[in-house]
Amino acid sequence: MKRYDLIIVGAGPSGLSAAIEAAKRGLKVVVFDENEKPGGQLFKQIHKFFGSKEHKAKIRGFVIGQQLLEEADKAGVSVVLNATVIGLYQDKEVVVKIEEEVHHYKGDAIIIATGASENMVTFEGWTLPGVIGAGAAQTMMNLDGVKPGKKVLMLGSGNVGLVVSFQLLQCGCEVVALVDAAPKVGGYGVHAAKVARTGVPFYLSHTIVKAEGTECVTSVTIAEVDSKFQFIPGTEKHFDVDTICVAVGLSPMSQLLKMAGCKMENNPKRGGQVPICDEYGATSIPGIFVAGDVSGIEEASSAMIEGRMAGVTAAEYLGYMEETELTENLTELDKALDGLRQGMFAPKNRGQNITETEEGIPVSQNLLKHGFVADDEIERFPGVTHKAGIHPVMECTQNIPCNPCQDACPKHCIKIGEKITSLPAVDESATCIGCGMCVASCSGQAIFLVDETYEAGFASITLPYEFLPLPVKGTKGKALGRNGAAVCEAEVIDVRTAPAFDKTNLLTIKVPTAYATAARFFKA
Amino acid sequence: MNQVNDRSRDIGPYVAAPDDDMIICRCEEITKGEIRRAVHDGMFTLTEIRRYLRTGMGLCQGQTCSKLVKGIVARELGVSPAELEPVTSRVPMRPLEMRIFAKEAKEGEQDEK
Amino acid sequence: MKNNAEVVIIGGGVIGCATAYYLAKNGTSVIVLEGSDHIGNGGSSRNGGGVRQSGRDPRELPLAMYGIKNLWPTLSEELEVDCEYHQDGNLRLGKTEKHRQILQGLADKASACGLDVRMIDGAEVRRINPYLTEEVTVASWCPTDGHANPLTTTLGFYKMARRMGVRFITEEPVKELRMIKGKVRQVITPNNIYEGEQILVAAGYHSRDILGTVGIDVPMTQSLLEALVTEAEPHMFDQMLGTADADFYGHQSKHGSFVFGGSSGFEGCNKDNGTPITNSITAPAICRGIMKYFPDLADAKIVRTWAGWSDKSADGVPVLGKVEEVPGLVVACAFTGHGFGISPAVGDQLCKLMLTGKTDVDIAPLHYNRFKAKI
Repeated sequence: MKRYDLIIVGAGPSGLSAAIEAAKRGLKVVVFDENEKPGGQLFKQIHKFFGSKEHKAKIRGFVIGQQLLEEADKAGVSVVLNATVIGLYQDKEVVVKIEEEVHHYKGDAIIIATGASENMVTFEGWTLPGVIGAGAAQTMMNLDGVKPGKKVLMLGSGNVGLVVSFQLLQCGCEVVALVDAAPKVGGYGVHAAKVARTGVPFYLSHTIVKAEGTECVTSVTIAEVDSKFQFIPGTEKHFDVDTICVAVGLSPMSQLLKMAGCKMENNPKRGGQVPICDEYGATSIPGIFVAGDVSGIEEASSAMIEGRMAGVTAAEYLGYMEETELTENLTELDKALDGLRQGMFAPKNRGQNITETEEGIPVSQNLLKHGFVADDEIERFPGVTHKAGIHPVMECTQNIPCNPCQDACPKHCIKIGEKITSLPAVDESATCIGCGMCVASCSGQAIFLVDETYEAGFASITLPYEFLPLPVKGTKGKALGRNGAAVCEAEVIDVRTAPAFDKTNLLTIKVPTAYATAARFFKA
Repeated sequence: MNQVNDRSRDIGPYVAAPDDDMIICRCEEITKGEIRRAVHDGMFTLTEIRRYLRTGMGLCQGQTCSKLVKGIVARELGVSPAELEPVTSRVPMRPLEMRIFAKEAKEGEQDEK
Repeated sequence: MKNNAEVVIIGGGVIGCATAYYLAKNGTSVIVLEGSDHIGNGGSSRNGGGVRQSGRDPRELPLAMYGIKNLWPTLSEELEVDCEYHQDGNLRLGKTEKHRQILQGLADKASACGLDVRMIDGAEVRRINPYLTEEVTVASWCPTDGHANPLTTTLGFYKMARRMGVRFITEEPVKELRMIKGKVRQVITPNNIYEGEQILVAAGYHSRDILGTVGIDVPMTQSLLEALVTEAEPHMFDQMLGTADADFYGHQSKHGSFVFGGSSGFEGCNKDNGTPITNSITAPAICRGIMKYFPDLADAKIVRTWAGWSDKSADGVPVLGKVEEVPGLVVACAFTGHGFGISPAVGDQLCKLMLTGKTDVDIAPLHYNRFKAKI
């Protein structure tokens, strides 16, 4: 039977990262993926990633996918697409459907990196056409170029729900509401804030009562729930929609591992049924490893590190590297992974009620309840300062592992420090030149350049803008507040695009000085 | 003895619920009420539910409904969902035409990429 | 919790559940101990669903005929579950002269026992089942055979027995039987001791170890058999099918899916990992076997494959009945892959045996003491 040193199932971020590390050490590696295109979910991720440089922060997901593919290719990895692994049998035998045949392969080592699948919730009408998963919506928009609907209600305020809501807005859908049964927004506050400021209302402690329609969804009713998730009568709200997008979490696609006889466990913290494995992905069957969401739901950045860990571990397992070298590699990777697993959203903090930032600042309750920081809360965060002339305002209010802004500023106006979860602060001694690099570098679109003394009676605000059509200089419209409500008249006074901004356009608007701290979005 | 193994354990009577007619397994069109009644008929494990009702036996092999079924069964039994062992995973991971499953590539004909 | 009953049954498969059901119906108190997590987890949920008389050894044929005549027709009604029983005949197919001889031999034996089995030619085969390839030139045809759904049947027996007060305990593997004053009386599990006036061992291949604790041996081996199921297809036919070559067997279920079993030829020595795990070469072999007879099914999608152990007796028929040298002990095992079709009859007859000491069907040829050296 045809044999490889290493067979990897799944060409997503973890699978490709594992393949690269292993192939670099001399292993003969093949990666099978059932999709037509490699990269897993990366190619649907059009937003910029968080983290630090080593985590490929501020690079857009699909670009990371392209980079990984190029690296894999250079390392000599064979990536076979449209190749569905139908079974993982004893003796590390993989059976793959390729074209119109099944092929039997053996791997001296196997890495399963099959990722996750979307969860569903039930409500009256949940089987109507028009109720779709957030992943499906992303596939339609970003891979197939199809608009999922005209008017969409999003269920789920985790990062997937927030990111996909923003993408729906970008592709021209109207997002009528973002709904979550939980009392607090689940995802990053900055993701929520960029959705909220466009005018999308958030309904926390709400969920869907029913989807209405005969042939397909035509409307939806939501209602508030109490602490036991029971509907509160009289709180119903009704929306006309053609699409209900569901983003209620992911489950590891661990079937191949179970099939192969790996010891499994039910671990709600990891998202469901996962293989019992050590921190580097070794399962109960020697030579079978896992990486990425299949062993516990996290996100693409940690999946890439886990992939690299599994790749080097497999290399050592097969004698392609010394144990000492492995230890060195893993120590470095541990550090990288640990960096990502810090802050308020760290796996260890799941389910915790965090009321203060690491700096001791009370977290914005309005952000958790409504998706945006209230005007009377924003001033307490270190990134928000006032001074004469142009200066950055960083509305970054939660401890998340991300620091590209501090390197983006050529004048070193922004400091985060060693700990990448720290809130960015303004270095008062440095002088902002208004270049906008920080605005474009912020994956959370939370940095603004504000000049409260732009001209007599007016302030200028430079904001990140990723929508089409791009307004031109001189366009008049409304400035919207953090809550998405119009606050004042505004005029576009500058539009900047540059390769260095990586498709984040910088829109500068002019608003009456009184609104300098309130205006955060522009609508023509 | 755990809560699932004693099949004579009193789990109370089956009480009809307003959402009993909601479809849970879309492939096989099994409703919540059918699942709940099956638990009261003694089907205490997800495997027994599956064998008795066909939940998760359709084209998607439970990809969509398995967590939903688990939640319903756990609630009916009064146990945590984590206590219920998920059903076995079976080859093929994706539905596969008989003619393709039957056609095994010969040694040496495989792509050498 | 009371650990005593008139009968303790070891094994919650279709045999154990059926026997428990008939005993409970007769007012007997019963405890059923199942070693795995699930009721009906062995061959009971892994077989092809055949309810046939043709092709059976004359020693067990009377049980098959008894069940089909007296029990199967009303079973769904009785168990309040759709057992999906179909009595639409069994076709055993052949393509060559050698096949014809095999089929003729089986038909002759069955006819001698009073069963209506006749040889038919290719044209008649296709009148019965027009989807079969022209290559089929001969078949044996038993119009009173059929098939049923082993999953709902097994769980139906369980459901009704449970409803009538039978105690079922899963994940309760039996380690030992214990004699008290010359009678088998106690059943020992890792954490409990159960007591019964009679003990039925119906635990498939595990029966051998359990019986061994009171010095009884049933010569048998394990064989890992595999089967598969397709997606639902439009209704095509209702017969149970088999072949002279034994390269595949199966039927179309009420649901529309095709349930087919087959063989790679390595069933007796397939490797496993302690669970009944499928082998990579078997499903393709089964698919090729099916397509040799039903070319039209080539595009049907396989959704699931599975494996199960068959407890194969040394002479191909079950071991059934009282073990007189161990008073109180009753055995029902070594069904050799054809236990499902006769399970209602076995349950019904074992119940009568345990309660009255008599059976309607002569089960003496299946006695545990029949195994003798050949010279």
